[in-house]
Amino acid sequence: MVYILGGFQTDFARNWTKEGKHISAMIREAASGCLAATGVAPNQIEVGHVGNFAAELYSMQGHLGALLVDVDPALSGLPTGRHEAACASGSIALLAASAEIEAGRYDCALVVGVEQMKTVSPAIGGDYLGTAAWYELEAKGVEFPFPKLFGKLGDEYDKRYGLKDEHLAHIAAVNYGNAKKNPKAQTRTWYMSEAHACEVSSYNAVIGGRIKVSDCSQVTDGAVAVVLASEKFAAAHAKQRGTKLEHLARIQGWGHRTAPLRFDDKVAESANDPYVLPQTRRAILDAYKRAGIADCWALDGIETHDCFTTSEYMAIDHFGLTKPGESWRAIEERVIDFDGKLPINPSGGLIGAGHPVGATGVRQLLDASLQVTGRAGNYQVPNAKRFATLNIGGSGTTSVVFVVGR
Amino acid sequence: MGKQIRNVVVLGANGAMGSGSGAVFAAAGIPTVFLARTKEKAEAGRTRAESMVKSTAISRFITTGTYEADLDRAVASADLVFEAVAEDLDTKRTFFSRVDKARKPDSIVATVSSGLSIAAMCAGQSDSFKNNFLGIHFFNPPTMIVGCELIPHAGTDPAVTSFVRDLLAGPLGREVIETADTPAFAGNRVGFKVLNEVAQLAEEHGIAFMDQLVGPHSGRAMPPLVTIDFVGWDVHKAIVDNLYANTNDEAHAAFELPAYMQRGVDAGTLGNKTKAGFFKKDGKNLLVLDPKTGNYRALSEVATPLPSFVEQMKSSIRVGRYGRAMDVFCAAEGKEADLLRKVVLGYISYGLGRVGEVVKQARDVDRIMGFGFNWAPPSVLVDAIGARRTITLLEQGKLAVPRVLVEAAEKNTSLFNEPEVDRGRFFFAA
Repeated sequence: MVYILGGFQTDFARNWTKEGKHISAMIREAASGCLAATGVAPNQIEVGHVGNFAAELYSMQGHLGALLVDVDPALSGLPTGRHEAACASGSIALLAASAEIEAGRYDCALVVGVEQMKTVSPAIGGDYLGTAAWYELEAKGVEFPFPKLFGKLGDEYDKRYGLKDEHLAHIAAVNYGNAKKNPKAQTRTWYMSEAHACEVSSYNAVIGGRIKVSDCSQVTDGAVAVVLASEKFAAAHAKQRGTKLEHLARIQGWGHRTAPLRFDDKVAESANDPYVLPQTRRAILDAYKRAGIADCWALDGIETHDCFTTSEYMAIDHFGLTKPGESWRAIEERVIDFDGKLPINPSGGLIGAGHPVGATGVRQLLDASLQVTGRAGNYQVPNAKRFATLNIGGSGTTSVVFVVGR
Repeated sequence: MGKQIRNVVVLGANGAMGSGSGAVFAAAGIPTVFLARTKEKAEAGRTRAESMVKSTAISRFITTGTYEADLDRAVASADLVFEAVAEDLDTKRTFFSRVDKARKPDSIVATVSSGLSIAAMCAGQSDSFKNNFLGIHFFNPPTMIVGCELIPHAGTDPAVTSFVRDLLAGPLGREVIETADTPAFAGNRVGFKVLNEVAQLAEEHGIAFMDQLVGPHSGRAMPPLVTIDFVGWDVHKAIVDNLYANTNDEAHAAFELPAYMQRGVDAGTLGNKTKAGFFKKDGKNLLVLDPKTGNYRALSEVATPLPSFVEQMKSSIRVGRYGRAMDVFCAAEGKEADLLRKVVLGYISYGLGRVGEVVKQARDVDRIMGFGFNWAPPSVLVDAIGARRTITLLEQGKLAVPRVLVEAAEKNTSLFNEPEVDRGRFFFAA
């Protein structure tokens, strides 16, 4: 069993380029903030993992694992590595760290997810993000390829089951609304309403297909760190902190599946499947099974990957809140709202809290652990005991799910 | 008390503060009436509000009108009257007399004044008006800057103050601090002391030199003299003149407007809005004012190399080693380092020194400097320097040592205790 001792998230509203900062400052702030928040001493960390998508492109900097060693003299010699799976990079780093703990190699791991994206213009950044798709076939020469790919996901729903844009607008409004409760959310001071999300105007232009600005997650700078630990380490840590092992968050289950890289190949694969992204559905079911839960109703909340409103729309039926193709029901019945039966993204998600690509999976796990330990502050879901996360890389390509509880 | 704000009237809704504040109310879904001298001006305020929140959807909560045709009727049904007319006592008083006659007895009246006396503004109005009157000082642009001062005067009903605080901190999403009704309140008193001091020092040391020396690495997003150009020399003069006339403390001399700035204001040099201030653009070239002659020279002619200790501070900040940057700040030798320490330590001393007089706690000064000015809060700087070392440096510089600093040093505790706020965001290497 792998425990989450806590962590730290940088304020996702920050623009680190405007602050004149190098990506190493982001890793330093997240890692030192995490050590301070958890009370874990630097010399107790045995291994470090960094999740990051494209620092080579955004910051002309690779080899990010080595920057962990720079955080504190006591981390000198720490074994480290960096993991990449597009927007799921953070979760892949978490999987690697937890696998090592389960294998008994280490008892205490520091995992940092980081992305500095505001180093370049939105157009250039959009092109970089295209490398998370099959670049030559889907992104090269395309302006903002990802909104278009996730627009196609909406179109596929529309074709199979019907899809109304007003339902997508509600998803946007809920995420922005929740973000207002989150002191680290990028959009916490921005204006959004369902009326605004429904209208097309110069302030809410169409980016590609059915995707408008209000349907999109943000270009975000952010870093998040968590400490993962074995039961032995967690028990000693709990005792030292005057608490009990059963009060700590732990990873109860996980799922990890990969679909074909190209979006059209995914759709072809799912032609006879009630689920539009069957590999994502499998990852969710794997996690439920490993956690020993029957379905989504054993959860108190979900932190899902809403890179676009269509990806959250997809997550709703894939998590099993509704039958396939009926996500709109959960939206109309307000199931996903903050005070709904199964709130989705109380943090604001990627649309509201922000989406620093390689940091998102770690941010989701941190938020899930804060929720189940009653430490999520203003965006705490009352009495939450179990949360799930879904982190997606590419156009539904790499799916990683965690079930977190205590 | 069961109060509710069901609608708001904004007076002066065409101006930057009026339209921006109106946008904040409308964005919260509160029906808001934008009033101005003409319908066209009020409509322009509405358009500006839309552009500030980047949505036309807020307009369903906005109606517009004129003082002449609509003020009495609109004010009669308003729960909150928000005054944002010109920053002039007589103008404001004239409006308040009219509001007093038209308003319903329990409505709240607020002024967005950035430093005039709240008590003086409502003197002569009815008791009901005075009981329900206070200052709500938003910073420009209020749709982006969430720091906000709440200023009751001695006659404000405490229940009104508490109700407005909840409104601001809740539905309006503000970071609220309460201040005493003292000149320029907390933020502008502490902030303009630093800005004006740098403008004074620029007379001897040069504008480019001072703005570079007290630049972002010293804990601010924007260099001080660039900030004054952004604010406007006329606004700057109004604030420091008010402070020079109505305060008398250790910073009194720092509030005296430099003579060269007075000459500039007289000649119509008002900063960005007149396209000339400390800096001026000439095509691609940036020109800098020579305070001695009043002429502009190319920045490239007057620029001096960045002092090496500033280079060291910046390279430490760039990689997130903020403590190391402050070590350099404390230990650097030479005239330039002395000058920077004078300004920054003066800021810490004067800022934290207002605790007990203008605000109740260090946290209030910290929040308004952090969220209103986007400057490193004094307590963040003290924590990065160390409380004991800060005291030593203040004593060496013959600056007042604030009591809160002595207490922090005695208890060996940090001064800035806001886990939800990243300290790192206040250190700039840009």
